[in-house]
Amino acid sequence: MDRKEILTGLIEVLRTVRTVDPAKLENVTEETDFLTDMNTPSTELINIAAKVEQKFDIEFEDEDIDEMGSKVKDIIDLIIKVKARTDAEKE
Amino acid sequence: MITDVSQIGENLVGDLPENWLLHGPTKRYVDAYHWHNPKVGIVASYTPTAFDVNDHFDIFRGVDQIESFAQASVVSCGAFLQCKKSNITPRMLSEQFIPTFIQVGSVHFHSYLEKGQTFINIGFVKFFKWRQVVCDGRIYRVPKGLDLDAYFKDFDEERLLKYDLGEGFSMIAELFDITGRGIKKEIFEELQQK
Repeated sequence: MDRKEILTGLIEVLRTVRTVDPAKLENVTEETDFLTDMNTPSTELINIAAKVEQKFDIEFEDEDIDEMGSKVKDIIDLIIKVKARTDAEKE
Repeated sequence: MITDVSQIGENLVGDLPENWLLHGPTKRYVDAYHWHNPKVGIVASYTPTAFDVNDHFDIFRGVDQIESFAQASVVSCGAFLQCKKSNITPRMLSEQFIPTFIQVGSVHFHSYLEKGQTFINIGFVKFFKWRQVVCDGRIYRVPKGLDLDAYFKDFDEERLLKYDLGEGFSMIAELFDITGRGIKKEIFEELQQK
């Protein structure tokens, strides 16, 4: 799964989040910041993370969330990292 | 004080709130835990003191009701679950994380509480993950003289979910999306610098 596919999946997740303005999803890039560009409440990042887990069939650890940044690229990086970790554990 | 994880039981019933709510004592608004199922919810009581209502018409403030509810539900339940998960004591937990109030969704007050009027917090755990806890629930004034330990001895999840209390309990407040999170001390300190 490449970054573009993850971004598409992430936008699908964001469409289900009540506090995310759908109009702001039209121009999302990896540099978009949830807090400053999309005015997403910081508490919502946890809800987004929970939905991302389901969407991408991964499981974040406490430390993953502690270190998660607020930009789209930070979440994509985290998904890639956790997916790799999950795959390694399965082998 | 809990000095070893072996002292942590299956739930909080009968445990001392000061073992889990490490601040205080004047801002600790839980006197006792009467019913607790770690993944479901809790019933905990408090009786406002003269100190609590000082300069406020002998009335326990609404914000303190929210604080009491949060301490009983989000903080107590969250600390218990995290200690179990990490196999550490509450003291060890407090050395690593700061319990923070993240969000108060909405609160509807129906009545008020005077000095000496015992009330219970009934809280449900809606979400617990990554040290974040979200609870809904209610506050009820308790009938005078009721033995709460005996009353809730045979309480169960089904009754809790329905707020199935007997006559004489009076609803004081409904609370939604009360949210707290244990934040790593280093991250908390970084936030303080901003």
